[in-house]
Amino acid sequence: MYPAPFRYHRAASIEAAIRQLSELGEGARALAGGQSLLVWLKMRFGEVSDLVDIGRIPGLDAITQDAAGVRIGALATHARIARSPLAKLLPIVGDCANGIADNQVRSRGTIGGSLASGDPSCDWPVLLTTLDANLHTQGPGGARDLPVDGFVEDLYVTKLKPGELITGISFAMPVKGSAGAYVGFKRCAPAYPTISVGVQLSLKGEQCEDVRIALGSAGLTTIHARAAEAELKGKTLTPATLARAADAAVAASDPVDDQRGPIAFKQSIIKVLVRRGIETAKRRCHGETVEVSHEYY
Amino acid sequence: MSWVGKSLRRKEDERLVRGQGLFADDELGAGMLHLYILRSPYAHARILSIDTAAAEALPGVVCVLTGKDVLEHCDPYMQLGPEPCDKIRDLPLAVDKVIFQGEPVAAVAATSPGIAMDAGQLIDVDYEMLDAVVDAEEALTDKIILHEAAGTNRTWHGVYEYGDVEKAFRDAVHVVRIPRMHFHRYASTPLEGNACVAEWTRQGTVDFLCNNSFPGFAQQLLAPGLRLKSDQVRIRTYDIGGSFGNKIWNYVYMALAALASKKAGGRRVKWAELRTENLLGSGHGNERTFLDTEVALDKHGVITAIRSRHIDDCGAYTRYEPLGCVIWSQVLPATFKLRNMRIDFTQTVTNKCPAVPNRGYSRMQHLWFMERIIDICAHELRIPADEIRLRNYITEFPYETPNGCVYDSGNYPAMLAKAKQLVDWDKWKKMQVAARADGRLIGIGIGTTLDSGTNNFGQAQIMNPHLPFSGNAEVCTMRLDFDGALVVSLGTGPSGQGHETATSQVVADELGIDPSMVQVRSGFDTGWNTYVGHSGTYASQFAVTGLSAVHGACQKLKAEMRKLAAFLLEAAEDQLEFGTGAQGPEVRVRGTDKAIGYWQLSNVINNNNAMLDERMADVTLNIRHVYRPPFRVPDTKRKFGNLTLTYAAQLHIAVIEVSRETSRAQILAYAAVDDCGTVINPQIVAGQVHGATSHGIGAALMETFDYDETGNLLTSTFSDYCPITSLNIPDIAYGSIQTPSPFSYSGAKGMGEGGGAPLHSISAAVQDALYEAGVIVTGSHHSPPAIFAALQKPNRAQAVSVEKR
Repeated sequence: MYPAPFRYHRAASIEAAIRQLSELGEGARALAGGQSLLVWLKMRFGEVSDLVDIGRIPGLDAITQDAAGVRIGALATHARIARSPLAKLLPIVGDCANGIADNQVRSRGTIGGSLASGDPSCDWPVLLTTLDANLHTQGPGGARDLPVDGFVEDLYVTKLKPGELITGISFAMPVKGSAGAYVGFKRCAPAYPTISVGVQLSLKGEQCEDVRIALGSAGLTTIHARAAEAELKGKTLTPATLARAADAAVAASDPVDDQRGPIAFKQSIIKVLVRRGIETAKRRCHGETVEVSHEYY
Repeated sequence: MSWVGKSLRRKEDERLVRGQGLFADDELGAGMLHLYILRSPYAHARILSIDTAAAEALPGVVCVLTGKDVLEHCDPYMQLGPEPCDKIRDLPLAVDKVIFQGEPVAAVAATSPGIAMDAGQLIDVDYEMLDAVVDAEEALTDKIILHEAAGTNRTWHGVYEYGDVEKAFRDAVHVVRIPRMHFHRYASTPLEGNACVAEWTRQGTVDFLCNNSFPGFAQQLLAPGLRLKSDQVRIRTYDIGGSFGNKIWNYVYMALAALASKKAGGRRVKWAELRTENLLGSGHGNERTFLDTEVALDKHGVITAIRSRHIDDCGAYTRYEPLGCVIWSQVLPATFKLRNMRIDFTQTVTNKCPAVPNRGYSRMQHLWFMERIIDICAHELRIPADEIRLRNYITEFPYETPNGCVYDSGNYPAMLAKAKQLVDWDKWKKMQVAARADGRLIGIGIGTTLDSGTNNFGQAQIMNPHLPFSGNAEVCTMRLDFDGALVVSLGTGPSGQGHETATSQVVADELGIDPSMVQVRSGFDTGWNTYVGHSGTYASQFAVTGLSAVHGACQKLKAEMRKLAAFLLEAAEDQLEFGTGAQGPEVRVRGTDKAIGYWQLSNVINNNNAMLDERMADVTLNIRHVYRPPFRVPDTKRKFGNLTLTYAAQLHIAVIEVSRETSRAQILAYAAVDDCGTVINPQIVAGQVHGATSHGIGAALMETFDYDETGNLLTSTFSDYCPITSLNIPDIAYGSIQTPSPFSYSGAKGMGEGGGAPLHSISAAVQDALYEAGVIVTGSHHSPPAIFAALQKPNRAQAVSVEKR
C-alpha cells in the first residue's frame, strides 16, 4: 500500500509543532510512532496533506515515578514502557505494554499516539481509564489537563482541539494493598484484541474497598463499567459477586458484530475477562506474583 | 555411499536466507513502469461508465487500461469446463459488469507504484449495484445470475456411481444420515503475492518474469489470450515465495502488465500484488457443501455404501475449475474399503473471489467429508474412533478403488499405531476421562488422509470430454560440462520445495559424484530452458515426475559416457565401470588402471574431437529426457480410470481442549505421521509435513474468508484474516513410515500438499470433546465464535440420525 502524497515537516519543539499544525490547518496531522496513522494513510482514509513529525522532540518520552505519582511522556513507546521499572512496580502496566501487537509495533508506537487515535481497540485508553489517569495537552489555547476517561468521545473522535497535542499522561500511584490486571482475548499477537479488560482493585482483607473496571473493543469507545464496580465496592469477593460484576460489565458494553465474532460471543468473553481480571488483581493484592498475558486463539 | 535418503542441506538456502534470491518483485531496471490495478468495491454491479481523464493527466502516468483496451487487444481466456463454461467471458479486466469484490476494472502504469496508485484513485467508475449471491445453494436457484451469457450459475454437474449402492443400503444394519456438512473457504496465503514483470518487445513478443507455478499451462492460455503464438510468449520464473497451487491462475492478470507495456511503447511493466489485493482478489480455496449424506454400515461398523450430494462453490469464475469437480475422485473412498458410492456433484459460481487450487486441492474437501462420516458414525454407533478406522482401512496394496484408481502402497494401521505412540494415546485417554469428571472438554481426534500425486490429466476429460489433455510428463536436460560438473535443468519451477537439492542427490548417486558437482538451474524459461506442457510444480509430483526425468537423463548420459569411454579406452562397454580415481570421478576398465575422467570425456566432445569417428556421431553428452507416467485415458462415461500414480498418506492425531469459558479449542498434543514411500531428503520431507500441518491447523482454528450477504469480504487484511504464524503452531510430534511405491523408479511418492490432515484431526478432536454436549461437528472451522455457537445450540437432533435395522 502506498499513501497519497503528503508534505513532511519535522518539528523541533512542542511549540513549533503546535504552530505548524495550526498554520497548516485541517489537512495536517501530527506524526509520532506512526503505527496507526501510517496504516490509515496507506489505506487512504481521510485526506492528509501534511504530516508534522513530533517524534524527535526531545524530552517527551520520559517515564518518571515517585511516591505521589507516575508521569509518562507522550512519546514513550510501548516497548520502552514494557522495559521500564514502572512495568515491574505496577504489573498491570506491564500486562498492557507487553501485549500490544508485535515487537515492531511496540518499538515504534507511542502511548500518546494510542490515545490520540481514538481507536476503540487500542489498549492504553482502557488501561489508563482503569488507573484514573489524566492526560496533559498543549495547544494554541495553552495547556490543559483532562481525564482519560471520556477523552475519546466517539469512534476515532477525541477531545483534542485543532493544533492541540498530548504531551503526557499521569496518574496517582495506586495505594498500598491495591493492584490491577489487564487481560485481553486476541486472535493473534499482531491483531487488535477481540475484547480487553482492565481491573484495578483495592482490598481490605477480603473486602473490596475500591475498584475500577474498563472494557476495550467492547463498544465505540473505552467503556468504564461503573455498574460493575458498584457490584463489588464494599463487598466480599465471592464467585457470586464476581458473576454479578461480570454481568453488569456485559450490560454496560455495546460490542459490535464483526469478523472477530458475534455480539453474544463477545459478551461471553467480557464475562470471562472481567472475572479473570478481578481474580488476578486480587491475587496480586495479596502479594502474589502473577504472570498474566493475553489469550490468543 | 548414497546421497538419496540423507538430509543434505538445501542448496537453495544459502541465497534465500541471505536475501539473495531473485523474486519477480526484486527485478528493477531503468524506465520500468509500475502497474496499479483498480478493483471493484462491489461484489455485483454494472459498470455504467469509466472516466480516466484525471488519472491520465497526472504527471508520471504513462497509460491507463480499461475494459475497452482489453476488448480491443485480448480474446477471452479458454475455459476448461464444458457448456455453459464456454459462454463465460473471462478477460483480465471487467468490461460491463463486476462479479466479485476485488475484480479488476482498470489498470494504471506509472513511473512509481505510488503515482500509479494515486492515479487509480482519480479514476471515476460509475457503478449500478446489483444484488449479490454468496451462498452456493441460493446461487443454484439462478435468481441472480453472474454470467448472463451462460444463463445459469451451474457450471458443472455429474454423477459418480460405483458398485450397487441400492443393494448395500437394503442390506445395511445401520444407516446414518447427515443432512448437511460444510467445508469452509480459506487459502494458504503464500508469503509472496502474485507478481510479474512484462515487456512487449520490439519483435512483437512478450517476455514475462513471473511467479506462475504451472507455467507450461499458463503459456498455453496467455498466448491466445494476447492473440499471440505460443512461442511469442516467453515465461520465466526464478525464485518463487510459495505457491500452494494459488499461483497457477495468475496468468489472468499477467496479461495486464503485457498490455500496459504494449501501450507504453515497450517499456517494462511490473505488477506486484499487495497483501489485501491478494486476499481480496487473488484466489481462495474451494468451499463445499455436502447434502443428504447417507451411510450404510454393517453390524461391525464397516461402511458398505455412501450416497451424498456435493455442491462446490468456485466463486465468480471457473478458469482452472471445474477440474476440482473431478480431482476429488482421485481419493473417492478415502482410506476405506467400501465399494459402493454415489456422489451427485454440482459446481456453482457465486459473487466471491474465484476459487483456485490450494494445498490439498479438492481432495482435501472430500477427505474431510469422508473422515467426518467415519468419525460421526464412530460416535453414534459407540465404536472407538481408532477401532472403527481399523475395521474400515484398506489393507491390501496395490488397491483398485471402485472408480479405477490404484493406491500404490500404504499401511494405515501402522501409521495409526505410530501416531498413537507419538501422541501418547493411552495417557490422554486416561486424562480425558479424569478431565470429563471435572467438567473439562478434552477431545482426541484422528485424521487419516491421502496426498495423491502425479495426476493423469486424462481426468480432465471426465469433466469435459473435448479437452485435449491426458497423461503427465516432466523433462530434464543434463550435460556433462568442461570441468566434469553436471549441469541440470528442469521444467519444474519450484516454489520452495528444494528441487535443486533433491536433484543433486539423485544425480550424485547415479554418477558417483559429490552433490556439489551438480549445478541445477532453478527456474523455468520457455525461451531458453527445457519444458513440456505439464511442466510446473503442483499436485505433489516432483519426487516422481521431476526426479524420474532426472534419473532417466542420468541413465542416458551414462550410456553415452560409457560408449565414448569404451571408444577412447579401446575396451568393450561391458568391461567398464564408473568410479572415483585419483583425479576424481572416472570411467575405467574393470581391474586395470586404464581410466578416463569425466572432464576428459566432456573435453573430447567439446574441444578435442578430431580423434572421434562416425561411430561417435550421436554422442553429445547433452541429454534431454522426458518422463511420462504409464497412464491411459480414463473411461469418461463410467468416470473410471487411474487418475493418479502415487498415494502418499498422512495420519494425524490431535488432542485438544475446548475451554468452557472462552470456547477456544487449544491443542494440547499433536502427532503427524507421514508415509511418502522412499524418502529422498528427510529434512525436506519433514519441512513439508510441518508446513502442511501448520496450514491445516491455521485453516481449522483461525483462517476463514467471511463474506457478508452483499459479498463484502470481512477478512481482507492479515490483521482480520490472521494467518497462522509460528506463535500459533504447537509442537508437532513427527514420525514417518516408508511403504515404497511400486510405480516410481525409486519407490518415492509425491508429497507436500499433505491432504489437509489437521482439518480432519481437529474436527474429530472437537467432535470428541463436544459430543457429550450434544454437538455434531458439521463444519471445518473451529474458531471460538463457531464453537461458542455450537455449544449454545447443540445440534445433534438435527445434524444426524441413525436407523438401526
